Amino acid sequence: MSQLIRREAGGFILADDRFTAVADDEPVPEGDVIVSFARFQAEGEALAAHGRDVGVRVEADESVDDLAYDLPRTSVVALMFPAVVALVFPKFRDGRAFTSARLLRERYAFTGEVRAVGDVLREQAGFMVRCGFDAFEPADGSTPEQWAAAANRFRHVYQRAADDREPAFAERDGASIGGNHGLRRV
Amino acid sequence: MNVLTANRLIDGEVVFWAHGRWVERFGEAERFGDDAPGGSAEAHAKSQPTVVVEPYLIEIAETEDGFAPVSYRERIRALGPTNTPHHGKQAEGGHDVEVIARAEGAARSGGRINLIKRK
Amino acid sequence: MYRYDALDKEFLADRVSEFRHQVGRRLAGEMTEDQFKPLRLMNGLYLQLHAYMLRIAIPYGTLSAAQMRTLAHVARTYDKGYGHFTTRQNLQFHWIKLRDAADILEDLARADLHAIQTSGNCIRNVTADPHAGATAEEVDDPRVWAEVIRQWSTLHPEFSFLPRKFKIAVTASARDRTAAKTHDIGLQLRRGRDGSLGFEVMVGGGLGRTPYIGQTIREHLPVGRILSYLEAILRVYNRHGRRDNIYKARIKILVAQLGAEEFTRQVEAEWAQIDGGRIDLPDTELARVRGYFAAADFETLPAVSKAFEAARAADPALARFARNNVHAHKTPGYAIVDVSLKTPGETPGDASAEQMDLLADLAERYSLGEIRVTHEQNLVLPHVKLDDLAALHATLAGAGLASPNISLISDIIACPGLDYCALANARAIPIAQAIAERFAQPDLAEKIGELKIKISGCINACGHHHVGHIGILGVDKKGEEFYQLTLGGSGAEDAEVGKILGPALPANRVAGAVDDLVEVYLRERREGERFLDTFRRTGLQPFKDAVYVTAH
Repeated sequence: MSQLIRREAGGFILADDRFTAVADDEPVPEGDVIVSFARFQAEGEALAAHGRDVGVRVEADESVDDLAYDLPRTSVVALMFPAVVALVFPKFRDGRAFTSARLLRERYAFTGEVRAVGDVLREQAGFMVRCGFDAFEPADGSTPEQWAAAANRFRHVYQRAADDREPAFAERDGASIGGNHGLRRV
Repeated sequence: MNVLTANRLIDGEVVFWAHGRWVERFGEAERFGDDAPGGSAEAHAKSQPTVVVEPYLIEIAETEDGFAPVSYRERIRALGPTNTPHHGKQAEGGHDVEVIARAEGAARSGGRINLIKRK
Repeated sequence: MYRYDALDKEFLADRVSEFRHQVGRRLAGEMTEDQFKPLRLMNGLYLQLHAYMLRIAIPYGTLSAAQMRTLAHVARTYDKGYGHFTTRQNLQFHWIKLRDAADILEDLARADLHAIQTSGNCIRNVTADPHAGATAEEVDDPRVWAEVIRQWSTLHPEFSFLPRKFKIAVTASARDRTAAKTHDIGLQLRRGRDGSLGFEVMVGGGLGRTPYIGQTIREHLPVGRILSYLEAILRVYNRHGRRDNIYKARIKILVAQLGAEEFTRQVEAEWAQIDGGRIDLPDTELARVRGYFAAADFETLPAVSKAFEAARAADPALARFARNNVHAHKTPGYAIVDVSLKTPGETPGDASAEQMDLLADLAERYSLGEIRVTHEQNLVLPHVKLDDLAALHATLAGAGLASPNISLISDIIACPGLDYCALANARAIPIAQAIAERFAQPDLAEKIGELKIKISGCINACGHHHVGHIGILGVDKKGEEFYQLTLGGSGAEDAEVGKILGPALPANRVAGAVDDLVEVYLRERREGERFLDTFRRTGLQPFKDAVYVTAH
């Protein structure tokens, strides 16, 4: 089984990847799979019905908006499934996946795994974590320790994103009230 | 005729290939003719990513008393900026500097166009 | 001006530490140049013709005396003793070594300076009116909002890998000294009909290969909503800006392709879904930032300074300086002083370390410790007492900083061009020098009046040639340097792209062509007309004839 880096309990660990990435023209094997967006839309429910967890791979030019179900059509909360959304970085400097990740977390309240795949490099780890990614398939051989070091470089941030970090101005507010609200990061 | 040039990674200095080393003076650069093209030197240079950035071949022409790059851009790289004589390699003087400074006319040099296309 | 507190300083320290680490990985071969390049660009470090170039951020063009001294220190210690002020109110050093870069950033950080996001496909330095806080023309100090936007855009995790660079300008006066309409986003502060403060939001301006004037997508956005609205715009751009062709990747292309109406619809739809409560700043934070830009401690002085009036009556040089470089201040007894970095024959926008140190001293002595940088590569001492003008002028004159040519023909914007820049096709500095020297005579320059010449060494248009009254674009014709002239551009509130005059001219004909154009203007002008006004009335033909038809 291949491995990937996962964010867990505030740290980063090496974890087994129970998902198999399946190309459109391949038969779907046993176990959990990640398929393309088109295949997910066509076969996703059927595949999941066999007791699998099914994930979807979203290319940079595909929109996560299309994953959200029409609410009038179904009574379930949008994005109850897939189990994992793999967002592609075709090239590390193609930043569209950052938007996709934030929307999944902040707009669609997705609580499954958001995984970074493609040209995924440790120098972008901090941005990825802040946008809501919690799993990473590094293309540069990074270890979880290296990933953690890269993701934790900044004691302060200046804006809110998909993570729970408070921006500098909110930290100051907490400090000025005497720090009782526990807003300041240690 | 060609010369292989690049910028040194550590300080950005303009350098030229000379038989396996990098030199700072155009006058010391190894010249490649049609019979001994610079392709293998270029390949060798590209395998040194922690030494130089983006090596490429530039065209040079023979003048009455020396050699000069054919394009303004490469002459400026070999000499220094033209808005002051005190900065860049021109400040060190020397025969090769004088030859380039006196060079007349200009033409496009293939190297930079190829760089742009490659991007 | 904004003062860093412990949090801000820790942020800079962490950034320096990160960059030092990244440089180390590059030097050790752990990163390719392709992987390293965006990282060093996001710390302002370019690789140019002769060396690395470092572009230091001067947020909304405002510097303290201490910061100016630090820039002088960097110039002396790590460069060749000078720096170049740019068309985005920043400072560039042209002879930097990669091995020094992290140390330089550390030295800068001690003065709360940095090079964060001065390059790269991210949100760049937010520029603002260089007369902010001093001019009576403004409805609010635009720097308050420039600072708010600066912080929000710093290491924004969603918008650090955009399709292309992103430039924002903020202005608050009817007269626009920021070229806001040629920015990706231009924000014009105004009072609404009910008196509330709002922004006119203009999107999709830009120069370069395809110049555009920005289009208004919102007439009045309440100022407190600016950050959530910017998130909406940037998100639409990040998702839909082109990534297949760097020459078609700016937001101006997206706006043109969708049309302003559809683009606006997408932004407004996105904005409606953004939780402003999370993104927009609470009133307490707005008040905190605003507090740093509160009116300075001005003395109560008479509107007219007898000492100054006497001095200028006695000294024609001071009188000329006052005519061209000094502007009215909102406070009686004070003035805004433009410091020209365009001494004819010198490199436009350059200042030596000695000049920087002197300007720091003068700022402390005469300008409440503040200096500004304009997008026309000049400086400003914003709060000078009229009583002090004569003494200030004398000291500036002694240091070659008193050229009385602001907005005149010799106040030329020129990019570094082929002398320094790896992107250039032709040189810009020698062209500027030739023109400025030809029109160096102050009487002649004043006779001609306001004439903004802007020179770019390539189509990237860092010299803003598209919006020059006379624009000059360097092109490469079979390896020779040729120059394309345009007329009638303007970067002010009446923004317009210049019109091509005719075929490109060789380098040695450019100054003469400018002479011909000036001759036509002096011949044709009516009372009160600037060059731009005469051109707008007569059109291109008489100018075209003078340069191309009349025998020489």
